[in-house]
Amino acid sequence: MTSLYNSEYGERADIGSLPHVAIRHAVEQAAHLLPSQGPITVFVHHNTLHAFEDLDFDEGVKAGGLLFGCHAYLPEERYRTKLERGRIRVTDLEAVLLDDLGDDADRLVAHFGTRYALRLAMLQFSLQTAEPAQLRWMIAETDALRRFREEVAPDVREEMIDKTRRWVMRDLQNGGAKDAPVIDVLGDVWEQFDRRSMDSWDDRTWEAFVLNFLWRVCHRGVGEVRSDDAHEDVCPPGQRHRDVLLAATGEDADLLVNEVLFRTCGPFLDQGFAEWEIPHRRQGLYQSFLKLHSQSFASPTSWSAGLRRETKRLIDLGIGPLDSIGESLSLLGVAEDEWEEYIKHSLLALRGWAGMVWQMETNAEWAPHPAPAGSLIEFLAVRLILDRLAAETVARESLSYVGPLCDLRESAASQIPSREQDGTDHRAFTVFQLAQVRGWKPEDLQNLSGELWSTLVHEIEAFSGLERRRVFHLAFERKYRNETLDAVIAHSRSHRDKGPVPVAEAGPAYQVVCCIDEREESFRRHLEEVDPDCETFGVAGFFGVAMYYRGIADAHFKPLCPVNIKPQHYLVEEPLYSLLQSDRRRTEARRRIGQVTHQAHRGTRTFLGGLLTGLLGSLTAFPLVARILFPRLTSRIRRLYGSIVETPGTELRLERVADEPGPEDGHVGYSVDEMAAIVEGGLRAIGLARPELFSPLVIICGHGSASLNNPHEAAHDCGACGGGRGGPNARAFAQMANDPRVRRLLRDRGLVIPEETLFVGTYHNTCDDSLTCYDLDRIPVLQRNLFERAKAGLDEARKRSAHERCRRFESAKTTLTPEGAQRHVEGRAEDLSQTRPEYGHATNALCFVGRREWSRGLFLDRRAFLTSYDPSQDDERSPILERMLQAVIPVCAGINLEYYFSYVDPTGYGCGTKLPHNITSLIGVMDGAASDLRPGLPWQMVEIHEPVRLLFVIESTPTAMQRIINDNEAISLLVKGNWVQLAVFDADTAQMHRYVDGDFVVYEPESTELPTTDTSIDWYRGWRDHLGFAEVGQMIGAAR
Amino acid sequence: MTIERVFYVLGLIVVASPAVLLAALGVTSLSGRPLGERTISRLTQVSVIAGLMAALGVLGLMLAFDQRSVPIELGNWVVIPEQHFHFHLKFVFDRLSVPFVILSYVLCGTIGAFTSRYLHREPGYGRFFLFYALFLLGMVVATLAGTIETMFFGWELVGLSSALLVAYFHERPNPVRNGQRVWSVYRIADAAFLIAAISLHHLYGAGEFDALMGVGPWPEGHVEIPVSTALVVGLLLLIAAAGKSALIPFSGWLPRAMEGPTPSSAVFYGSLSVHLGAYLLLRVSPLLEASLVLSVAVVVLGLTSAAFGALAARVQTDIKSALAFASLTQVGIIVAEIGCGLRYIPLIHIIGHACLRTLQLLRAPSLLHDYHSLENAIGEHLTHTPSFWERRIPERGRVWLYRVSMERGFLDAVLDAYIVRPFVAFFRWSDRMERRWTDVLSGSESRESDQVHSPSISPEEFL
Repeated sequence: MTSLYNSEYGERADIGSLPHVAIRHAVEQAAHLLPSQGPITVFVHHNTLHAFEDLDFDEGVKAGGLLFGCHAYLPEERYRTKLERGRIRVTDLEAVLLDDLGDDADRLVAHFGTRYALRLAMLQFSLQTAEPAQLRWMIAETDALRRFREEVAPDVREEMIDKTRRWVMRDLQNGGAKDAPVIDVLGDVWEQFDRRSMDSWDDRTWEAFVLNFLWRVCHRGVGEVRSDDAHEDVCPPGQRHRDVLLAATGEDADLLVNEVLFRTCGPFLDQGFAEWEIPHRRQGLYQSFLKLHSQSFASPTSWSAGLRRETKRLIDLGIGPLDSIGESLSLLGVAEDEWEEYIKHSLLALRGWAGMVWQMETNAEWAPHPAPAGSLIEFLAVRLILDRLAAETVARESLSYVGPLCDLRESAASQIPSREQDGTDHRAFTVFQLAQVRGWKPEDLQNLSGELWSTLVHEIEAFSGLERRRVFHLAFERKYRNETLDAVIAHSRSHRDKGPVPVAEAGPAYQVVCCIDEREESFRRHLEEVDPDCETFGVAGFFGVAMYYRGIADAHFKPLCPVNIKPQHYLVEEPLYSLLQSDRRRTEARRRIGQVTHQAHRGTRTFLGGLLTGLLGSLTAFPLVARILFPRLTSRIRRLYGSIVETPGTELRLERVADEPGPEDGHVGYSVDEMAAIVEGGLRAIGLARPELFSPLVIICGHGSASLNNPHEAAHDCGACGGGRGGPNARAFAQMANDPRVRRLLRDRGLVIPEETLFVGTYHNTCDDSLTCYDLDRIPVLQRNLFERAKAGLDEARKRSAHERCRRFESAKTTLTPEGAQRHVEGRAEDLSQTRPEYGHATNALCFVGRREWSRGLFLDRRAFLTSYDPSQDDERSPILERMLQAVIPVCAGINLEYYFSYVDPTGYGCGTKLPHNITSLIGVMDGAASDLRPGLPWQMVEIHEPVRLLFVIESTPTAMQRIINDNEAISLLVKGNWVQLAVFDADTAQMHRYVDGDFVVYEPESTELPTTDTSIDWYRGWRDHLGFAEVGQMIGAAR
Repeated sequence: MTIERVFYVLGLIVVASPAVLLAALGVTSLSGRPLGERTISRLTQVSVIAGLMAALGVLGLMLAFDQRSVPIELGNWVVIPEQHFHFHLKFVFDRLSVPFVILSYVLCGTIGAFTSRYLHREPGYGRFFLFYALFLLGMVVATLAGTIETMFFGWELVGLSSALLVAYFHERPNPVRNGQRVWSVYRIADAAFLIAAISLHHLYGAGEFDALMGVGPWPEGHVEIPVSTALVVGLLLLIAAAGKSALIPFSGWLPRAMEGPTPSSAVFYGSLSVHLGAYLLLRVSPLLEASLVLSVAVVVLGLTSAAFGALAARVQTDIKSALAFASLTQVGIIVAEIGCGLRYIPLIHIIGHACLRTLQLLRAPSLLHDYHSLENAIGEHLTHTPSFWERRIPERGRVWLYRVSMERGFLDAVLDAYIVRPFVAFFRWSDRMERRWTDVLSGSESRESDQVHSPSISPEEFL
C-alpha cells in the first residue's frame, strides 16, 4: 500500500525526520492487521485473516490466533462430538494422520508403538486435563484410580489386569523384586490394599490395584523428566504497560483509556447521528481531542485534571501528532527497536475502532463524513497520551509507584506474582490415561529409563491441543470433500449412462440466469424439478454491469459491482415518460413526509418536542402492539400506504447521449458499444454463445435481501454487487440484450442471438423469497404465454425454495406446506423481533464451476456456489475460465473464510450475539452501552454453519488450471496457501484430480453409490440437520 | 356473589398471575428441570393475558359502579405487638394504580411476545423470562401497593430484576460492572425509601397510604403532619425516586443499563422501571403539597434533570444512549409536573412516553434502515440545522457545553471520586488494620485466603 501520509502535517520538526518515518511505517504495518470492514451499511465479505494470506492456512490461523487471542479451529470437544455423530469417521482421522506424518508415521516411540498409533489414540480418546487443584481432586475423589476408562476395550482391560496379576503374584511375591524403585512405588500402593488377602481379591480390587500401581509408576516416571520449555519472558519486547500492570496489580488501565476513546472516536467518525457535531472536527482527531479536553472548568476529578494539564501543554508547545507519539514512546521508556511491536499492540488494543478509523481514512470517500488522511496516526497519538496518563494513575494508586514512567514496566514486572506450576500431575495423568487405552502395563513401564520417559512425554506434548485440533479439522474437511467428489463422479456417471433424455429436442423452453450465490442453488434445483424443460445458469450476480446506480426513490448513487471493480458508468431509474408530471407531485409528497418523519424522530429526543410527543405517545401503543403481534398484516398496511407515494411505472435511462460517462444528466448510461461488450462478456462466460443454444425466453435474475431491525442487513445482499441488490443489474442486462442495435453489433462479432429470443430482468429477494419482474410492458404479445408459463414455474420454485429454507429454522414447523413456508418467510422479513431473517451464506462449502449438466439433479443442500462455464467453448489456455476465476475464487473464498472465522471464534473474530448490539455513529455496532466496535458476523447469522474451507470443483484440465494458478497472484495465494481446496473435473470421463501441495493428483472415489430420491422435498422433509447428497430422479437429463 | 367479592377475585388475579408465573419458572429451574422455550412463552402469555383481563375487568366494574378506590386486603403477614409493627399486605385499585397496572401489563405482554422470538435459541432464554416474571410481579405489586411496605417489596423486586438483567451477559465484564453500578445506586435509593417508611411507621404506627394521605381517594388526599416532618420524609422519598428514575445526580446509570438484550432495555430502563420513581412521587403527592420547599425541590430536580438529559442526548452517537437520555429528559419533565401540583397530566405523560419509548428502543436496530429511507425520501443526506438555542451560545460556551454533555455532566466521575473512593478507602483501611491485628495476635499470617490464587486460564482454551 502506498504511503498516505505525505501531506502537510503541521509538524514543527522536519517531516522526513527519522523517527517520523519509523512511526509512519509502524502504523502502516499495524493497519494491515486491523479489521478491514468498513461502515456496516455496505457489507463486503472478506477473509478475516486477509493480512496472513501470504502464509499457509494452518500457519496463518495460528499466527492470527496468537495475535488476536482467538481460536484457530473449533474447540476439541466440538470435533469429538462430530466424531461421535459420524460427521468425522475414524477412517478420516487415520487417513489424515498418515498423510500428515508422512515417513514419520512408522517411527517407534520407545516401546510404545509407532508415532501414528500414539497420535491416533490421542485423537480417538479424549484425554482429560484440568487445573492442578481439580486434577488432585479427580484423582482423590473420583473413580479415576478405581475403574478403567469407559473407552478401554474389554480385552485390553482384561489383559492388563491379568498380566499384572500374574506378574505380581509370580515375580514380586517370590522375591523377584530386586528393583528398589518398584518396591518404593509398590509400597505406597500396598498401603491402600489388604496384602494378606490378596489371594481372595475380586476382580474389582485387582482393577483398582492395577490402576493405582499404574498411576504411581507414571507419576514417578514422569517426575524425572525435566521440563525443557524455558521460562516465559516476563516482559517480552513491545509489551504494553497496561498488560504488565494488569498482571501485577489486577487493575486494568485500559478502563480509564477506553472510556475516553469511545467518546472521542464515536463523535469523530459519526456519519450524522448526533445532533451536535464534535467541535473542531475539521482539524482532525488529534486537535479536536486536545481542544476539547483542555477546556477550563470541566475537570472535577484528578484524572480529568491530569488530562487537562497534559492536553494544554501539548497545545501550548504546539506538538503535532507524530511528535507526540515520539514523545509518548520515549516517556514510556519504549526503545526504538520495539516501536513496531509496541505500536502494533497499542493499535490492536481497540482494533474495532482503530480499524474503522483506518477504513474511513482510506476507503470511504463516498461516505458523508470520511476521515482525513493521517487519522490513524492521530488516533495512536491520542491513545498513547491516554495510555501513559492511565499507567501513571494505576501505578500510583495500586503500586504506590512514583518513579519515572520509563522504568515502570521493569518495576511492575518484578511485582508480578509468580505462578510456578508443577506439571508432573498433569503429565502423569495424560500418560496414565494413554496407558489405559493403549494397554501399557505397569510392569513394562516401571522398567523404563529416564531417557525413554522423556521421549514419551515429549512425544505426547509435541501433539498438542492445537495440533490435534488441526488434524481433526483436516479429517472433518476430508469427509465432506470425499463425499462431494464421490457424489459428483457418481452422478456424472449415472447421467452419462442414462444418456440424454430426448425430452425437449427443440432445446429448453426457457432459460434462467441466476447469481452464483449458493442460496440460489435450491431455487434453481426446484425450478428444474418444477419445469424440467427449463435450463438454468449461474454467473456473478452483477451480470457484468458494473455501475453506480440511483433508483427512483434513492437519494444517492450506490456502486453495484464487486468491490475490486471501480465503476465508470452511472445509471438512474426514472418514472415512465408519460408519468413524469404526476411523479413530481409524488416526489414532493415523499419529501414532505420524510421531512416530517425526520423532525418527529429527532423531536422525541428533545425537551419540548419530547414533551409534546410524550403526551400524545399513547397513540404509539397501537403500532407497537400491532407490529409485534401481527408483523405480516402490519407490513401489508404499511405497503398499502407506501404505494400512494410510490411511482407506479419506471424505466432505466440506459443509453448515454454524451461521450463521457458521469453522474450528470446526459452522461448517465452506456453507449451501444459498451452494452454490446457487456452482453457478449456475460453470454460467453456462461457458454450461451451459439444461436442453437438460446431458448425464446431468457430470464436474468438478480438477488438481494431486505429485512427489518437488522443492522447486518447488507451482509445478506449480493456479494457480487459489493453488498448491494442486484435487481437493477439484471434489469439493465436484459434491456441491453434486447436492444436490436446491440444484437447487430454482436452478430458482427460472431455471437448471434436469435430474433425471437427475449430477455427479461427479475429480482429475487432471498429473505422473503419474493420475485419482482421488470419492464413487463415490453414483452411482445407472442411471448406472453411463454412468460406466464415461466413465471408460474418461478413462483412455484421460490415457494419450494422457501420451504427448503424453512427446514433450517427451528421456529418453523417441519410440517409446513410450501405455501405455509412462503407465508412464514414473509413474516420473518417483516418481524421486528426476528434476529434470523435468513441464514445468509451459512453452510456454504462448495463452489462448482462448469456445465450444469453434471450437477443438475444433484441435491446440494444450498451449500454450493454454482458458476456456469462451458469448457468446450473455451480454448486451450482457457482465457474465459481465467477471467471468471479471477473474480469467483477471491469473492467466494472471502465469503467462506469470513464465515469460517466468525463461526470458529464467534466473539473474537465474529461480533458475538446480536441481542445487545447497539448501532453507533451509523457505521457499526457496539456491545451494549459502550464497547469496541464489533466487526465480523453475528452468531445468529453463522450458527448453522459448518466451518470447512471452500472446495472448488472446476471443469477443466490440470494443465490449464496450473497455468491459471501460476499467472494470477490472488488465486495463487489462496490455492497454494491452502485457504481453499481445489479439484478439477473432466465431465466426459468423470475423472477427478485433486490439488495437493502444488500438484494435481487423481482422486479415487471411496464409494460409487449415490442415494436417489424422486423429489428434493422427499429427501429433506422433516430433517433439520445437514443432509448428504442425493440424485433427484425426475430432473436428470432433461432440457437438453 | 356480591360486587365486593368480584372485585376481590379480580384483584387477586391481577396480583397472583405474575406470582404464579414466577413460581412456575423459578421452581422448575431450581429443581433442575428447566422448561422449553415454547412452554415458557405460552405460560408468560397466559399469565399476562389473565392479569390484563382482570385489570380491565376491575376498571370496567369501577366505572360501572362508580367506585374510585377498591382495596384488596390480604391481611397482616407479620405482627410484632411489642413493637407495634405489622406487615400489612394490601392493594389498592384507584385512578392512579389502574392505568399504571394496565400499562405495565400491555408493555410487558408485548415485550414478552417480542422476546420469545428475539431470544430464540439463546442459552439464557429461561433466565431472561425468570427475571421478566420477577420484574412483572415487582411492577404490579409496587403499582397496586396500598401500604408503604408493600410498595417497598415490589420496589425491591423491580430493582433486583433490573440489575440482574443489565448483567444478563455475565460472561463479559462490562455488563457485570454496569449491573453492579445500577445495583449500588438502587441500594442508595432503597435505603432512603426504607428510612422514610420507618419514619412514617413511627409517626402513624402503620404504613397504609390511606392513613398517611388522609381520607379521600387519590388524588384528593390531604396530609396532616407538621411541615418539617413532611419535608424530611418527602426529601427521603425524593432521593428514592431520584435513584430509581435516574434523576440528577444518579443519571449515570441509565445509559449504562443498555447492556442487556434490546427488549429488556426497552421495557425496563426505557419505559417502566424508569417511571417508577415518578410513580412514587405521584402516590405520595399529598405529602408534596404539605411543604412548599419540598415542591420546589421536586420541580428544581425535575427541571435540571430534564435539561441535562436534553443536552446529553444531543451529543450521543449511539442510538441506545441517545434514547436513554431522551427518556431522562421526559422523566425529568414528568417529575417537574408533579412538583407543580399536576396529577393527571403527569400520568398521561408517563403512559404516552412509556409506549413511545418502548417502540423506539425496540426499533433501535432499524436505525440504519430508517435513516436510509428518510434520506431517500428527502433526497439528500440528513443534516442538522443548529437549533434556536445553539445559535445563541458563543463558540467557547458551545465547546464547553459539548464537553460537559459528552462526559455526561461528570456525574459518575464525581460520585466515584468523592463518594465511592473515600468509602472504599475507609473499608480497605479497616481491613488492613484488622489483618494487622489478627497477624499480631496469632503471631503469623492469619489469613488463609491470601494464599489462594485464582487459577490461570489453561492454554488449551485459546488457540
